[in-house]
Amino acid sequence: MDRERALMRRVARGDQAAFTELVEGYGSKLLAVARRLLGTRADAEDAVQRALLQCYQGAASYEPRWAVSTWLYRILTNICVDELRRRTVRHAYASAPPAEAPALFEAPGDAGRRIDMARALARVPREARVLLALHYVNGLGNAELARIRGISINTVKSQIARGKSILRAALAEGEHA
Amino acid sequence: MKTDLDRLLVDYFRPEPPAAGLARRVLKEAVAAGGDAEDLMGRLAVAATPRGISLIRPGRQARVETAAGRRLVDRARGELHEYLLGQRAFFSVPVDLSAAPEFQAKVLRAAGAIPFGQARPYAWVAQRIGHPRAVRAVGTALGKNPVPLIVPCHRVLKSDGGVGGYIFGTGVKRRLLGLERVTPVLEGCTSTHIVCRLGCPQLRRAKSSNRVVFASVEDARSVGYRPCRVCRPSQAA
Repeated sequence: MDRERALMRRVARGDQAAFTELVEGYGSKLLAVARRLLGTRADAEDAVQRALLQCYQGAASYEPRWAVSTWLYRILTNICVDELRRRTVRHAYASAPPAEAPALFEAPGDAGRRIDMARALARVPREARVLLALHYVNGLGNAELARIRGISINTVKSQIARGKSILRAALAEGEHA
Repeated sequence: MKTDLDRLLVDYFRPEPPAAGLARRVLKEAVAAGGDAEDLMGRLAVAATPRGISLIRPGRQARVETAAGRRLVDRARGELHEYLLGQRAFFSVPVDLSAAPEFQAKVLRAAGAIPFGQARPYAWVAQRIGHPRAVRAVGTALGKNPVPLIVPCHRVLKSDGGVGGYIFGTGVKRRLLGLERVTPVLEGCTSTHIVCRLGCPQLRRAKSSNRVVFASVEDARSVGYRPCRVCRPSQAA
């Protein structure tokens, strides 16, 4: 933790090698969160790039009382959530349903199961989906999730529980369909 | 204890490596960014009537004679500067469009209804004001928009996706559209648990590290935030 804070101090001084080290440490996790929230790899890469740019330019305003991960995920989720808002507005005007579901045919690996999960996640309310992504990509605990989204720990718990119960129901429904 | 659902979720959210050279691309972008807001603010002139902002044009800012006019112009310049810095997603300064002919006033009202961060074709505006064949006249009316930026004629594009003309040049129009694509609209303060439109004076007191972005007022409510009574985010388009 202290090592990361020291790294951030170097980034704040404009140390490009320190920034590269930070990106190497967090790049794939940030990308996984963004990818599962936004759907396509291209949108996710764009969001991560913008988050890292904000991180580099705002490194001087980083407060050491925060874990570096909390700060980075706050920036990234702010960007992803705003992108989800934009899609909702765009689709409301086009009078079509919002396309928030992750892109179904980009799923690598066990494609069928991942498609089911993508469909099920699309039913989970946005705030709960953000918390689930942060929790399952990084194994972040409730206290850190609460700090990242600026909400109470009890709200984190209830959002995750509700999200998982919706997921369970949606996956069971898919199996029986 | 891990359930089957937990295992499925861990598998689904597996990290994936980013494309090579991510840090290098970000650093390159950081060098290129900045300076746009000051550049444009330095070359736009704002004028006001007692009723509101009546003109925004390229040029040097002239001295405003009356104290009331000065207050309006200062307020408009402040809001414009915040907007160009990506710190504001709406304007609250009043505009005075009373000198605009009826057709143009309708066109400007329609353009004003396009949400922040969105764009519509000229034909959409023509349709909306009930003159679907008057696409060219819509273009002319927008071209003479007395208060560009505040009335967002830059959100109207050609039907073929072309950017169309703009009083400050097409480069600026593109930059404004790009800026709006990366500026959030709804932010909550983590210490007060109040959600505001970006640019609300209530939110300005919150440090940037105490702000979270929301996709809708309903989302914010669902995690314990309440809408601001000053900027009324529920009424935002």
